Amino acid sequence: MCFTQNFWSLLISGLANGFVYALIALGYTLVYGVLQLINFAHSEVFMSGGFAGLFLMDHLVGKGHVPSGLTSVGLVLAGTIVAALAGGLVAYILERVAYRPLRRRHAPQLAYLISAIGMSFFLFSLAGKEFGRDSASVPQTFTNGTVFHVFGAGVQTYYLLVAGAAIIMLVGLDRLIGATRLGQGIRAVAQDADTASLMGVNIDRIIALTFIVGGLLGGAAGFLFGIGNGVVYTMGFTPGIKAFTAAVLGGIGNVRGAVLGGLLLGVCENVPIGCVDTSWRDVIAFGILVLVLLVRPTGILGERLGRSA
Amino acid sequence: MTRKRSLSTVVAVAAVATLALTACGSSKSAKTTTSSSGKTYTIAYQGPLSGGNAQLGLNMVYAVKLAINQANSGTSQFGKLPFTLKYTQQDDQGSATQAPTAAQAIIGNSNVVAVVGPAFSGATKASGALYAQANLATVSPSATAPDLANNGWGNFFRVVADDNAQGPADAQYLAKVVKAKNVYVIDDASAYGSGLASAFKGAAGSNNLTIESETAPGTTQCQAGQGNVQQYDALATKIKSSGAQAVFYAGYYCDFALLTKAVRAAGYQGTLMSDDGSNDPKYISQAGASVAEGALTSCACSVLASSPAAQAFSTQFKALAGFAAGTYSAEAYDSANAIIDVMKKLSSSGDAITRGAIVNGLKSVDFKGLTKEVKFQSNGNIAGTAVYVSKVENGQLVQLGLISDLVKQ
Repeated sequence: MCFTQNFWSLLISGLANGFVYALIALGYTLVYGVLQLINFAHSEVFMSGGFAGLFLMDHLVGKGHVPSGLTSVGLVLAGTIVAALAGGLVAYILERVAYRPLRRRHAPQLAYLISAIGMSFFLFSLAGKEFGRDSASVPQTFTNGTVFHVFGAGVQTYYLLVAGAAIIMLVGLDRLIGATRLGQGIRAVAQDADTASLMGVNIDRIIALTFIVGGLLGGAAGFLFGIGNGVVYTMGFTPGIKAFTAAVLGGIGNVRGAVLGGLLLGVCENVPIGCVDTSWRDVIAFGILVLVLLVRPTGILGERLGRSA
Repeated sequence: MTRKRSLSTVVAVAAVATLALTACGSSKSAKTTTSSSGKTYTIAYQGPLSGGNAQLGLNMVYAVKLAINQANSGTSQFGKLPFTLKYTQQDDQGSATQAPTAAQAIIGNSNVVAVVGPAFSGATKASGALYAQANLATVSPSATAPDLANNGWGNFFRVVADDNAQGPADAQYLAKVVKAKNVYVIDDASAYGSGLASAFKGAAGSNNLTIESETAPGTTQCQAGQGNVQQYDALATKIKSSGAQAVFYAGYYCDFALLTKAVRAAGYQGTLMSDDGSNDPKYISQAGASVAEGALTSCACSVLASSPAAQAFSTQFKALAGFAAGTYSAEAYDSANAIIDVMKKLSSSGDAITRGAIVNGLKSVDFKGLTKEVKFQSNGNIAGTAVYVSKVENGQLVQLGLISDLVKQ
């Protein structure tokens, strides 16, 4: 009874959350694919996108009246693009400052991990210091409301926006990996970096571009998330951990796995809330993660980037 | 093991030395008061100065500073004082994990004779035993968790009514004035939120309210816990389909704003009510004025009356802080002045101003503050239980009045 009563509403908001996880998870999975490294500073790439979008909207949107129609579309598009660019830029800087020097010196894996965690703390503490500790609302760029119903459950404009933007970016990424020279390079480095370099692939360039692609998606996700929940220096923390979980759930290093993992996690943590207290949310979500990993230790799709696409 | 033991010996020696020093310092002061050579004492503040709820802390900091400035310049109600006051502060981010460190730093400063704070209930709970051990008086402007008064800390005082007053008053208001029959009660899993929620639920029966309740941990987004912001969409769905006529949220403004946005986007039309933790204009700016419209907040604090004293306080606060006095500013001012009142009495009767003497003095203090008559019960709670309700109207928090008056109409 409790499970069926709100099933469709919970499924829909769960999917919307899942799309945000998927966009962030791709950043983890892409970098893991080429470097076998968990970029723990990726949650701060997400945060940078949120702030970039917030500042642009603060600048463009006047107080008092809420834009509508084409203005709304234009504003959201502009915000998403600027946020994506900011995310890409921060991810690129991270690669140059925190990872490339270590790679040059053939540092052990542990050094990368510490460097990543260090950059994460550095970035969010800096943002907290510079931009204040209070959550800031992104000015309203459109009027949120129920657009249509699915089995009696309302679908909000915001959910459609998140899902639509995410699907466009995910399809774009799939094409990029599968059908472009850059994609070929990423796959080659993921399969065997040494051989790829012998074949004339510029590994440093491919790695930097992989970071940028992941950063573009993460930054855009930061803005989409910020529209609904506000922007603050700690905003990357939970979504970052959840997206990392999603990437592992789907099979780390696997692009389609990250999307599947994100959506699955979003739905799995939302739907049971119809029956139990909200404080059970993470208990259930991570319980499922452990069960899946017991059965399939490499994640649901369990393949590496090189072979999957 | 040996290492540990030697460390504790060092600590013990240091503590004894500190005590001895304080004793020396104060006996000297007793002699010098008559010649009014101006001994210096420090009043400390402990509360959140960073983190998502820092505004509540800043509201208090400047009120304490104002009280001290006025006392030093002789422009306060106490006139010229034979001693000089200094101010110091420790940031506990409102969190129970940071609070003991902040408290240790204050206790370690031997010049500190009394503390305004800690501001939040969780932080007070975590540092209370340390202060009790040091016999250092803490006068909290804002910690409202009921069980704080049941620890037998003789040095604990607070100038607000506790949640045992606030929770039942809120339940009564929703039942009698809003005329709700079913209420959805949500708490943020903090010491403060869960205590307030259970006080609310405890009064449900006598007000004929049917309660559905849930714990939604405060979010990392708000630096208020380990919860995830995305929990609110699912929670909003449940609230809407529960048929509850009102929602009562026991927590702080940042998370209440996120919850408000989620339930309104889901199309929920019922009344939203929260507590003193949400009784701040930031709630309105974070939720958005049109979304927050009509929401209620309650507080054992009052919006300042129009008395000349209150007006003067508002003007001077704004001049000092650069922003208008907010939630708990006046309570912090009263807390600091209660301490100063005790110090003045001690010095005029020729007694030494020590940590212990101030604790004893506060037990019998009876002083006319801005918000109320400051007089404590034996467990440190304020005498009297006034709870006010405010409503968001046209993007402003407007105080509607005392709940005990409103339910009679």
